[in-house]
Amino acid sequence: MQHPVLACRKVSRLYGARASEFVTDGHLTTDNVQTLQEAGITPAIFNVDLDIERGKTFVIMGLSGSGKSTLLRCLAGLTPPSAGKILFESKNLFEFSEADLIQIHRHQMGMVFQHFALLPHLTVLGNVAFPLEIQGRPRAEREEIAQRMIRLVGLEGREHRFPAQLSGGQQQRVGIARSLAGDPDVWFLDEPFSALDPLIRREMQAEVIRLQGMLKKTIVFITHDFEEAVRVADRIAIMKDGQVEQVGTAEELLVSPATDYVRAFTRDAPRAHILTARSIMTTSPSAGPFGGEVNATDRVISFARELDASSLPLAVIENNEIIGAIDRTMLLDILIGPETQAVGA
Amino acid sequence: MKKASALPAGVVFGKPVNLRHLPWLIIVILSVILAELPRTVFPRWVQKYPTGWRLSLADWISAFMHWLTVDAHLGPLTVSGFTRALSFLLDLPLQLASMVLATGVLKGQGSEAVMLFPPVPWFALIIAIAALSWTLRGWRLAVGMTIGFLYLAVFGQWTSAMVTLASVLVAALLSAAGGLALGLLCVRSATFGRLLSPLLDVAQTMPVFAYLLPMLILFGFGPVSAMIATVIYAIPPMVRVTVVAIQGVPDELRSLGSMTGCTRRQMTWRILLPTALPGLMVGVNQVIMLSLNVVIIASMIGAGGLGWDVLGALRRLDIGGGLEAGLAITVLAVMLDRFAQALVPDARRSGPSGSRSHHRVIAGALALAGLLWIAAALWPAIAHYPESARLSTGPFWNDLVSWINIHFHDPLDVIKTFMLLHVLMPVKRFMLALPWPWVVTVVTLAGLWMGGIRLALTVGLMCGFMAVVGLWQPAMITLYLCGVSVVIAMLLGVPVGVIATQRPWLMKSVEVFIDTLQTLPAFVYLIPIVMLFRVGDFTAMIGIVLYAIAPAIRYTAHGISHVPESLIEAGTMTGCTRGQILRRIRLPHALPDMLLGLNQTILLALSMLVITALVGTRDLGQVTYAALSKADVGQGVVAGLCVAFIGMISDRFIRQAIRQPGS
Amino acid sequence: MIRNLLCISLLGGLCLMGRSAIAAPESHDPIKITLNDWTGELITAHIMGDILKKAGYNIDYVPADYLAQFSGMENGDLTVAPEVWATTAQEALQAAVKTGKVEDLGSSGMQAREEWWFPEYMKEKCPGLPNWEALKKCGEVFSTPETDPKGRYLGGPSTWGGHDEERIEALDLPFEVVHAGTDAALFAELKSAYERKAPIILWIYTPHWVPIKYKGEFVEFPRYEPGCYEDPGWGINKDAKYDCGKPYGPIWKAVWSGMKDKWPGAYAIIKNYKFDNKTMGELDARVDLNGEKVEDVAQDWVNKHEDVWKAWLSK
Ligand SMILES: Nc1ncnc2c1ncn2[C@@H]1O[C@H](COP(=O)(O)OP(=O)(O)OP(=O)(O)O)[C@@H](O)[C@H]1O
Ligand SMILES: [Mg+2]
Repeated sequence: MQHPVLACRKVSRLYGARASEFVTDGHLTTDNVQTLQEAGITPAIFNVDLDIERGKTFVIMGLSGSGKSTLLRCLAGLTPPSAGKILFESKNLFEFSEADLIQIHRHQMGMVFQHFALLPHLTVLGNVAFPLEIQGRPRAEREEIAQRMIRLVGLEGREHRFPAQLSGGQQQRVGIARSLAGDPDVWFLDEPFSALDPLIRREMQAEVIRLQGMLKKTIVFITHDFEEAVRVADRIAIMKDGQVEQVGTAEELLVSPATDYVRAFTRDAPRAHILTARSIMTTSPSAGPFGGEVNATDRVISFARELDASSLPLAVIENNEIIGAIDRTMLLDILIGPETQAVGA
Repeated sequence: MKKASALPAGVVFGKPVNLRHLPWLIIVILSVILAELPRTVFPRWVQKYPTGWRLSLADWISAFMHWLTVDAHLGPLTVSGFTRALSFLLDLPLQLASMVLATGVLKGQGSEAVMLFPPVPWFALIIAIAALSWTLRGWRLAVGMTIGFLYLAVFGQWTSAMVTLASVLVAALLSAAGGLALGLLCVRSATFGRLLSPLLDVAQTMPVFAYLLPMLILFGFGPVSAMIATVIYAIPPMVRVTVVAIQGVPDELRSLGSMTGCTRRQMTWRILLPTALPGLMVGVNQVIMLSLNVVIIASMIGAGGLGWDVLGALRRLDIGGGLEAGLAITVLAVMLDRFAQALVPDARRSGPSGSRSHHRVIAGALALAGLLWIAAALWPAIAHYPESARLSTGPFWNDLVSWINIHFHDPLDVIKTFMLLHVLMPVKRFMLALPWPWVVTVVTLAGLWMGGIRLALTVGLMCGFMAVVGLWQPAMITLYLCGVSVVIAMLLGVPVGVIATQRPWLMKSVEVFIDTLQTLPAFVYLIPIVMLFRVGDFTAMIGIVLYAIAPAIRYTAHGISHVPESLIEAGTMTGCTRGQILRRIRLPHALPDMLLGLNQTILLALSMLVITALVGTRDLGQVTYAALSKADVGQGVVAGLCVAFIGMISDRFIRQAIRQPGS
Repeated sequence: MIRNLLCISLLGGLCLMGRSAIAAPESHDPIKITLNDWTGELITAHIMGDILKKAGYNIDYVPADYLAQFSGMENGDLTVAPEVWATTAQEALQAAVKTGKVEDLGSSGMQAREEWWFPEYMKEKCPGLPNWEALKKCGEVFSTPETDPKGRYLGGPSTWGGHDEERIEALDLPFEVVHAGTDAALFAELKSAYERKAPIILWIYTPHWVPIKYKGEFVEFPRYEPGCYEDPGWGINKDAKYDCGKPYGPIWKAVWSGMKDKWPGAYAIIKNYKFDNKTMGELDARVDLNGEKVEDVAQDWVNKHEDVWKAWLSK
């Protein structure tokens, strides 16, 4: 298998005056969060293991203060972890020399910030061209690339505006264009849309999906909104108090939550949009008759009406074989939620 | 609430008293008793700090300075040789500036000098500046700058003003650049910041007279020394502002820098400085104002220019002449500041300001200015503003002061006598009667109570220092004079600030007024005040109040007008009247700002001491001035340190008070 | 065009120099004469400067504080302090001379007088003036609320010394001293009082424009003798010093001690320079009362009195 672009190996980051007392040779001396907290230390992230695969969108989720940003900053090489290793292309990211790290940042990583982080004294064009300017590229070249990026995010015609003259959504488009200007391999987005209102947020999510379809970057995306995660993610990590509770696809999290926390977290998720036929079907196939057929990988939402309208169950097909069946009661379970079912039973 | 009821509530005259304040009440009562007791009750050493215990710090400093300037070596070079070389280097930009603005290109020195090329004539400078201002900020600035420069020409201040402008320009540039560099170092290394901070405190509060002599010895008599003194005085706020502005750059922008792979230098120059620029300009504004504040003192050691004219005019009792020269300083300050602020591109303004015709106009205007300059070289007669077209309002002001003097002296005298007999003299007597060990103890205790052992030690040692070096009495007079003045400045300034926020037009005129007061050399209004109120503490007090009232007004107004709208709305919804909103919401919310204002007021009052020494106070300002006259370096520095310590003690206390709200 | 112009102005400059040079100066470095902030000094400085220029020297005027100028001279940054008053800067001068870097070139011939002074109209209110004994009964006349019932005597800046507290004690006068911080403050009070014909008695010195502009007289104390300041037994009060008026004192000229070697001729001219109070008072009045320019007044004097200053050159 291809090696992951980025990986965490027992990564921890501690904050607090006495933090260094609990680290020797890059390893934590305790596995007990309690001990740390009693010493007045905040383990912003604690013993995190992760693999981030090439060309996929990896979403980190969690409540405020759960350590998402800290983890992202470690992955991006901004904050060194207190213990553990970050592997970038299989090499320890924090063992690169300062000059090498600068080169990695210039050419292999890009970031979009929650509050846009636009430089107020530069125009849209200047902001987008900024990373290239830092690289010392000639003016004509960088402006041409910047223009292309601006077109990519649909801001053409506003090149000479200053950030203060743009709406929030437009500002974040500038942020996106800028983060892509250096043609990074890994694209970090830290809650990029949480400062935007819901309509614009949807539009921007679509934008990211569209760009990802074109550019095929490795994406690390932070959000605390499960719906957003579902829309963009290939895989999702759920964090709580600095620790990763579970990593998996949205469906895996829904169907087999590893902890109660994950279950509670995914409770209000739009299940019909996430679950596929396979995960809700009964595997003891009756011989029929069937009201129709669905693919095992089809999302529930795509056949819900059909199922609702038919009085017969639908057959679930994989490789032209019937592997299971779905009936209307299952649809209700999804819509009302498994808990109600549990209570009923 | 809970805390208060947990304490046993004391009852005095049937009213519950918050026992938290009881220790202070006791201290005040004890102080009054101690002050009223006949002096002979105390042992001698309590009455007066014994001469035998004195630390002869002043002598040591003098000896050290002597050693430094005569014997000390830096490698093969003597220290004074080194400083002289430095002074030669610093003289270069100064010479360049004054060549362009004031003296012209000279060949030779002194009276043998021949002017090869004249300085910029007034009309050429006005055209060039107006054109530049127009491009930078539009016609309003251009008109403003033109009026300012015309004032200088029409009122016959041009030559002196250009001398002053040249030296202030260079000094301000140096202070701004130096302050920026030091500020960046402070941000980079916290240790450096901690080491620098007390030095900045001292530089900001120490009277200029105190380090004038060492300056002269090290850097020689002349404009360079004056410039260095100016820089020392003007640099602290720039450093402070830089630190705050740079630290205020959002973390996200720093991360942006790292993520785009900025090197350290790129981070500083491409991210930190540009984004902090609006904040930094506040520092530049301070630098300009302060540089012009020391114009008078700088002129005493060879800077010449407007400061010298002010002194000369007042010496002749030409009050109008002094006022006109003084106002020229104010005009310079305002113009310099506005122009510097305009140099910063305003991102909020519409995009690039560069239509082609626009550029052509500018180029044309600059070319015209250049041609006129050359013309002035060819026909020197046209270079000077015609003598016959000069205006002067001098006689008017002289007559006005005389008129007020003749017709209103008696009512004014009544006010003065009242203040003197019922406020100033009793306070002075009280302060001088307090035994020094008591004062030191109280200050230390207050430090302990407010901020813990560290603060207690700091303030206690500073307070003790004044006794130990034998300057207790002048220090107490300083305290009394500044104390009364600050109280009055706050009593006047806070209401003015509150009222001004209610009416925008009022705010505008108040601002003009306090800006003028701050940049007009105090000497200009002190002399008329002497005429009306005679030499003495009352005059000094008025001078201090006038100068120090600005921050009291400004900070109050700022605090009051920056209460979040939601709080006001909450108040309105609970049915508060306007008065209640003011008292219950705006004032409490503005309290931290007002405390900062108080802090600034105290610092300004202290910095005014040197000037009031010139109208006959007997405080630390006088000691530094007298030390200057006796060429006693050590005494001057020690007295200056005492002033600085008074400022620092009050600063520490007030900062502590701001940090713990509710106390 | 420009080059032509430069040539012309250069030539012009050379011509000027050529015409004014009487003897070749030893050094063309500028001799730096300090400008203090009172008119008399400015006139002296410009007269000296004009004469030195006529003798071919290069002159530069540097505005300088009266007291700060001494450290300037010690460094050699300033060359000549044209007026150093025995009455106000004796200590500073002595301290400077002690360093060996400043030289006292003796009296300029002018006498500084300083004493208690009152405006003419006070004679009515305090009969017996200018005799000092009249003051004994006049405390109330000169009193103010702060000093009541004693009279208020406005002394000079405390840096001027003057022993007025001791004088009051020794002569048993019902007065209290209030020190002005600068002479600007001193004269401001005088002007204010004079305009209102209000009582005032204060420290005035001559040569100065004040006694010319305002009518008044010096108080006549027992005449100063050195014994008065040193020996308690001297004078009316057998137990106290200072029972007399203030000393008269010369106005000295001081120079940087390197001047002697660098510009011996100029040094000699400054040393020979002599003036008198009366002439100075007249020149002073032309500037301060008639509004003429200092430079013009000095130039005028130099032009009209060639015989006087020529003598200083030849010696
Ligand atoms: N520089 C720091 N110093 C001290 N503590 C920190 C620092 N940065 C983060 N923390 C702590 O680490 C924990 C995790 O913070 P982090 O910013 O990673 O959370 P987050 O999940 O990104 O939250 P949010 O959704 O609010 O951005 C928090 O408790 C925070 O207080
Ligand atoms: Mg975060």
